[in-house]
Amino acid sequence: MTLDREPTVVARTVTRLVVPLILVTAIALLFQGHNLPGGGFIAGVLTVTAFVLVYVIFGLDYLETELLDREPSARYETESGIIREYGQVGAVGLAVAAGSGIAAIALGYPFLTQSVAFVEPLPVYDSLEVASALVFDLGVYAVVVGALLTIVAEVGAE
Amino acid sequence: MQPSGTALFVVLALPFLGAALTPLVYRILGERTAYFAAAVAAGCLAAVGALYGTEGTVVVEWIPSYGVELAFYVDGLALLIGTLASGVGVLVFTYSGGYMHGEPGQLKYYATLLAFMGSMLGVAFAADLIALFVFWELTSVSSFLLIGHYQDTESSQYAARKSMLITVAGGLFMLVGFVLLRDAATAVEGVESAYRLSGDGGMLHHADAMVDQLRAEGLFVPVLLLVGMGAATKSAQVPFHIWLPNAMEAPTPVSAFLHSATMVKAGVYLVGRFRPLLLTDEWTLVFGVLGLATMTVTAILAVGASDIKELLAYSTASHLGLIVAGYGMSNYLGAETGAFHILNHALFKAALFLVAGIVAHEAGTRAIDELGGLAEDLPLTAAVTVIAGLGMAGVPPFNGFYSKEFLFHAVYETAEASVADGGSVLWWALPVVAVFGSVFTFLYSIRFVMLFFGEKPDELGEVHAPPVAMTAPAAVLGALALVVGLGGVTGTFGVHLTPVEEFVKSVMESSLAHGNEHKFSYYLPTEVTPWLIMSAVTIGVGAVTYPFFDRIRDSVRAVRGVDPLRANWYYDGATETLDRSTVIDIVQTGHLRTYAIALSLATSALTLGAYAAASVSLPALELAGLAPALLVVLGVAVVGAVAVAAAPSHISGVLTLSILGFMVAIFYILASAPDLALTQLVIETLVLVIFLLVLDKLPAFYGTVDRVRAGRDAVVAAVVGVTVTVTVLVSTAATPHDVIAQYLLTYAGVPEIHDPIFVDAGGGGNVVNVILVDFRAFDTLGEISVVAMAALSVITLIAMRERGETQ
Repeated sequence: MTLDREPTVVARTVTRLVVPLILVTAIALLFQGHNLPGGGFIAGVLTVTAFVLVYVIFGLDYLETELLDREPSARYETESGIIREYGQVGAVGLAVAAGSGIAAIALGYPFLTQSVAFVEPLPVYDSLEVASALVFDLGVYAVVVGALLTIVAEVGAE
Repeated sequence: MQPSGTALFVVLALPFLGAALTPLVYRILGERTAYFAAAVAAGCLAAVGALYGTEGTVVVEWIPSYGVELAFYVDGLALLIGTLASGVGVLVFTYSGGYMHGEPGQLKYYATLLAFMGSMLGVAFAADLIALFVFWELTSVSSFLLIGHYQDTESSQYAARKSMLITVAGGLFMLVGFVLLRDAATAVEGVESAYRLSGDGGMLHHADAMVDQLRAEGLFVPVLLLVGMGAATKSAQVPFHIWLPNAMEAPTPVSAFLHSATMVKAGVYLVGRFRPLLLTDEWTLVFGVLGLATMTVTAILAVGASDIKELLAYSTASHLGLIVAGYGMSNYLGAETGAFHILNHALFKAALFLVAGIVAHEAGTRAIDELGGLAEDLPLTAAVTVIAGLGMAGVPPFNGFYSKEFLFHAVYETAEASVADGGSVLWWALPVVAVFGSVFTFLYSIRFVMLFFGEKPDELGEVHAPPVAMTAPAAVLGALALVVGLGGVTGTFGVHLTPVEEFVKSVMESSLAHGNEHKFSYYLPTEVTPWLIMSAVTIGVGAVTYPFFDRIRDSVRAVRGVDPLRANWYYDGATETLDRSTVIDIVQTGHLRTYAIALSLATSALTLGAYAAASVSLPALELAGLAPALLVVLGVAVVGAVAVAAAPSHISGVLTLSILGFMVAIFYILASAPDLALTQLVIETLVLVIFLLVLDKLPAFYGTVDRVRAGRDAVVAAVVGVTVTVTVLVSTAATPHDVIAQYLLTYAGVPEIHDPIFVDAGGGGNVVNVILVDFRAFDTLGEISVVAMAALSVITLIAMRERGETQ
């Protein structure tokens, strides 16, 4: 999944600048989702966009050779390598989401009941709202990231 | 006594659960998965055993508000089929452990076989027509997979397709019959639930009213024929018997299990089940003729067989014909014949199939001419063959004799009664044909037994001793057949084999009119009766003609060689004609666009048709109150849409498409839906980036499109557009009275007075997100599961496509 032509310097530089910004934005969207626009799904898709941008501009193997400093995994390899890791992210996400529901059962509430706790007083923030729904949302985020990246990497190798 | 719901649940759930667990178990146990499967079957057998002596309906509510429920019924017939499915299952799985050693695709094999066992048990215990139909077709599907086990060989593919085409087509006829029955049942007082067949408030309990109603609507004969089609195709009755010999392509345990003991019994089960409902003169005519014709024709074909499994396949069809003929006869004797022969046939035929597997495995050939004198090397197998083979021939005192005697009795009495009633003399043809067919049965049975005796051909190499896992199941079946046979001998002296007799009695009563009871016992004949003479004639003529077996076989082969006399000739001709016809070229083009057009148009037609049928009126469009900004955005979106259609190249197409997407996002912002807008923007960006990737690999410009195709595409697009627009208008106009929005708004935020920890409200400022992760979290969980599933299927489709099943 690389362009046939070598990408321009502009494209490479802009990508280098933009990708961290996208990732930070995605994380921000994930955490503010409870009270402001955002949430696990949006954050997940945005994260994937950042990865896809890296894939498009720098090629499929860049992520592994330059960032993770290891041998790139073979094409279509699903037993090990990066696709397997993406798959694991998705699987863990699904487990977290379902597990957050089961935790509610363990506490005597119906499946997937969410609760909210206010922790106060805190030094700087005065009070902090902690929603159990965030755990579920983290699961959603991981599933979206894992699944979409699996698809992109797999189809990209094609 | 009312059956226990738990036992029934175990019977039906265990096999499917086992099938689902097979991949895991296979990883751990490998080839020994056979014994895991045998254990599952044994569990089912135990649960079926727990149901013995009970009778009644178990209803599982499904959607109570719509009256949708799953009903199961336990009685003698259901228990018989259930016992066969699970009991023979135990033996066949054990046997597979030896037979399938080193064979490919074992994981698939055991999973499918377990799923089949579950479906067969479902057929046996289903109390309503829909459940019966679903399980019925499931058995066809699993049979298809198992026949095609060696999926690379041409003959397996042909055999699997053939059985699928014939049995599934027959099942569809049966479905139409069921729908007609339901239609009649709604008009009959006392039938509670229109699809309910057995049990209180089922059709069988109101058989007379049902028949009157069906006759009043002129549907009686159609229903009879449609249900008959289902039974005839499944049970390989003439002329649909052709799939069964081909089905022998499957591994031998499958043949023993599906194609002799259980699945083909589904057809006769259906006949036995519907007998109390539809038993009339027409019934006797249809099933008497069908059964006897099958019995005779396939017995003759079995004589002409050159392969031991082919011989057994034709013989199975022949014995199924005997059972159908028995159920076709009007008196209680008919039910007796059917019930007892289902049991006997399963015992001796499954044993013989296992024997055939042992012979093929150890001698290395299945050709009848190449085999002989096997008793020397396979003494135990030979003993089993003698018991089972003579039972198949109908020689006293082996088990098949008694049920064949019942058939002769039933046929004779039916013919006598019909002629006495002023019927045609042609009725006497029934007993004559029965004897004629039985002579051939005798001939091929003896031929099969003789494989073990006489001289051993020189070219037959060394015959190995089979593993215990293979001989033990065959020996168990042979011993059971022997016990049933000897029960008749002791019965003559007043010592009856009570458990068997009681059981057969309960099976028989399932096929008698509701509330009828009849005692059942069997013993060697003690006086000379017409039916005893019929048996004597059969065995006598058989014994006299056996020395000329080769000559008879050659003439059978000569007749079989004449094309228009072969059912296969018609089948092959029809499928080949269809294959070559131009219709295929139009329907199956292999182009994505053909299927997309068909799918879009069909969906639109169904949707619009449904609106028309429900006479939904279109609400008026209200454009007046819209903000000017919205109108501008929508206007730009429309321009974008037109530009997409007019775009000359991929680049401009993609860019104009994203104009459309971004305009929709802005529309969401203006409509105060920031979350939707964000999602739309992010997705739009991702799609755009991915498109950019693909673009590089595609030709820069579209080719020229001819006007006809452009016109056709425009029409399809317009139809889909209209459908979507109408759907949006209709669904948004239907505002429910109790609005859920208010509830969500009230509970989504942080309540004014609250504890430090609370669960009764969402506690979030973003209502959309709170809905997603709290109020409707279950939906979201489902959606992310779908996303994960999509990733899995992509992996399977792309990365594993080369891998095949070589694990």
